[in-house]
Amino acid sequence: MMRRTGVLAATAVTLITSAAIGQSKIAPPPPPYAGAYQPQGIDEIGLWREGDEDERTLANSPILLRDEALNNYVKRVLCAAVGDDRCRSVRLYILRVPLFNASMAPNGTMRVYSGLLLRVRNEAELAMVLGHEFGHFEQRHTLADWKARRSSSDLLSWAAVFAMLGNTYQSYSNFDSLQLSVYGRLAHFNRDQEREADALGLGYLNRSALRPQAASVVWQNLIAEQEASALAKGVRKPNFNKVAFFASHPPSGERAAILAAFADPVGADRENGVTRYAAALAPWLPTFLDDQIKLNDFGASDFIILSLAENGWTAPLLVARGDLYRARGNPRDLSQAAEFYGKAVEMDAKLPDAQRGLGLSLIKTGRRTEGQAALRQYLALKPNASDAAMISMLAQVARGQ
Amino acid sequence: MKILSRAVAAFLVAGCILAPATGQERTATKGGFNLAPQSGKTILVFRPTVRVGAQSTGGLFEPNADWTDQARRNIDDALTKRQQTLGNKVITAPVSYGEDAQLVEEYSALFAAVSRSVIQYQFFVGIRLPTKKRDNKADVFEWSLGSGVGALPGAKNADYALFIYNKDAYGSTGRKMLQFAAALGGVGVKSGEHAGYAGLVDLKTGDLLWLNADGAMGGDVRGVDGAEKRVGQLLEEFPGSVQPNLAAAQP
Repeated sequence: MMRRTGVLAATAVTLITSAAIGQSKIAPPPPPYAGAYQPQGIDEIGLWREGDEDERTLANSPILLRDEALNNYVKRVLCAAVGDDRCRSVRLYILRVPLFNASMAPNGTMRVYSGLLLRVRNEAELAMVLGHEFGHFEQRHTLADWKARRSSSDLLSWAAVFAMLGNTYQSYSNFDSLQLSVYGRLAHFNRDQEREADALGLGYLNRSALRPQAASVVWQNLIAEQEASALAKGVRKPNFNKVAFFASHPPSGERAAILAAFADPVGADRENGVTRYAAALAPWLPTFLDDQIKLNDFGASDFIILSLAENGWTAPLLVARGDLYRARGNPRDLSQAAEFYGKAVEMDAKLPDAQRGLGLSLIKTGRRTEGQAALRQYLALKPNASDAAMISMLAQVARGQ
Repeated sequence: MKILSRAVAAFLVAGCILAPATGQERTATKGGFNLAPQSGKTILVFRPTVRVGAQSTGGLFEPNADWTDQARRNIDDALTKRQQTLGNKVITAPVSYGEDAQLVEEYSALFAAVSRSVIQYQFFVGIRLPTKKRDNKADVFEWSLGSGVGALPGAKNADYALFIYNKDAYGSTGRKMLQFAAALGGVGVKSGEHAGYAGLVDLKTGDLLWLNADGAMGGDVRGVDGAEKRVGQLLEEFPGSVQPNLAAAQP
């Protein structure tokens, strides 16, 4: 799988580097840190206040992951990327949302989705995304974007009134063109902000103790995942190099290429922090995988599980793959699921979820006796399971027969 | 018809439909609920949602922290002052932490969702929820947050909870000029938005007992007097309140 990703990445990189960049240079180091920033002017103070109110709600949100170890770890990665002084102005929140994303509010509230943690493989990749978000904060992008939207809507409002006063075909047609170009410009503005944040994120990473070459891999993996998803759905592969008119972000292909080209070659020998990352994520991995599987995106979920298993299968990974196949539920999927669960049981017979999945998929494929034995194992391992009553019914029917 | 360009229409309408309850006001009380004045009940007030800002020419909300602070302070003071006329004991919900705070957040969000549903599907003409059609015809007001509200911090020592939402967007100069210019062309553009709602919830059953929604309120919340007027409008027809005698007040 790694090799496939690698080849894909290489093609993407060669395709775009030549066109978009011309010559490779290194992302510049970030500007000197100006110290804790305070908002200035009515608009910015107002936006920060809105951000404060949102943060109040966020801090009490039921989807927030409050695990201190995980929170401290992710915060440490952010600090390792942007430096301790910058890091202090950020409050980091991990949300249990199975999507690849993170965001930054103007007041320094950083939201990291669990889907991002599931998709990155090491500290350097995570640091790239967190640094990108910090770049938005340092450059006060939300404010600039908000001002751009305000002036655009001001302009369009006046244009609408004049079009109406003109009340001719031409005036309405002019308005339509103006509207398109204003919206197009806004989207372009947004993409440029993302490019700037990418450059800043990479700038931090170049200066840090982590390997900046990892930055590009984030996008290469994302491309590969989306390709896998499209393949499983049987739809056309998305074009990763084309800029859609209203796209808020630059295409992933372009981002992968630029990040690869601008990474400091001096840092190529630095460490990625793979083992530390895997260890920190391990307690949450089954939960995050379960959330991902429930998205019902077979190709993407299978891609993620396979890429996690690159360095060897573990029982939780096999259980996740079994769950994925069992959820799709074709007869062929069920027999494969039983195989995955079976391997998981071989590796760790004390894993309740493996026994449960094995039992359920065996029963569905007609191997009732074996299945019920596995379900009884599950009940013995986890007598207080929330589905214990239902499972014991399934397990005991056989006994009665 | 010419292309009365959907875009043009959409744009102007966008500014107007921000508050669906424009220029309307409705109050409802759950059937059979009657709160007698001075009946010794305790009402728990949760931190009101207050957002104050300006409205840009294009209709965007421009948050203003200073105005929001002033409004929050003024509304809190006005609520305290109004306590006498509410006829019952009004206490502020205790500041909560940890799981309690999460519960408050969840119920505040639930209250907001339920009251917005009431406003959208029952109070004002428009879309109707299929399951609520009969209620609407029979004028039945029956909504609930569930009996879990009893677990809210401070709920043990109180009978009812009061939730308040208030949003003000004062039309900017640009917005007013646009309004004027559009009016020349015979098009109505709304400048400013002053919407809010307040609701009373039974802390034993979770039932929504009383809800008052107003899409166009008076009173400038940035000033002390205005905030008092605003709170008066938000709590208009509050069950068990002493109704100010308007006939006597007006010459």
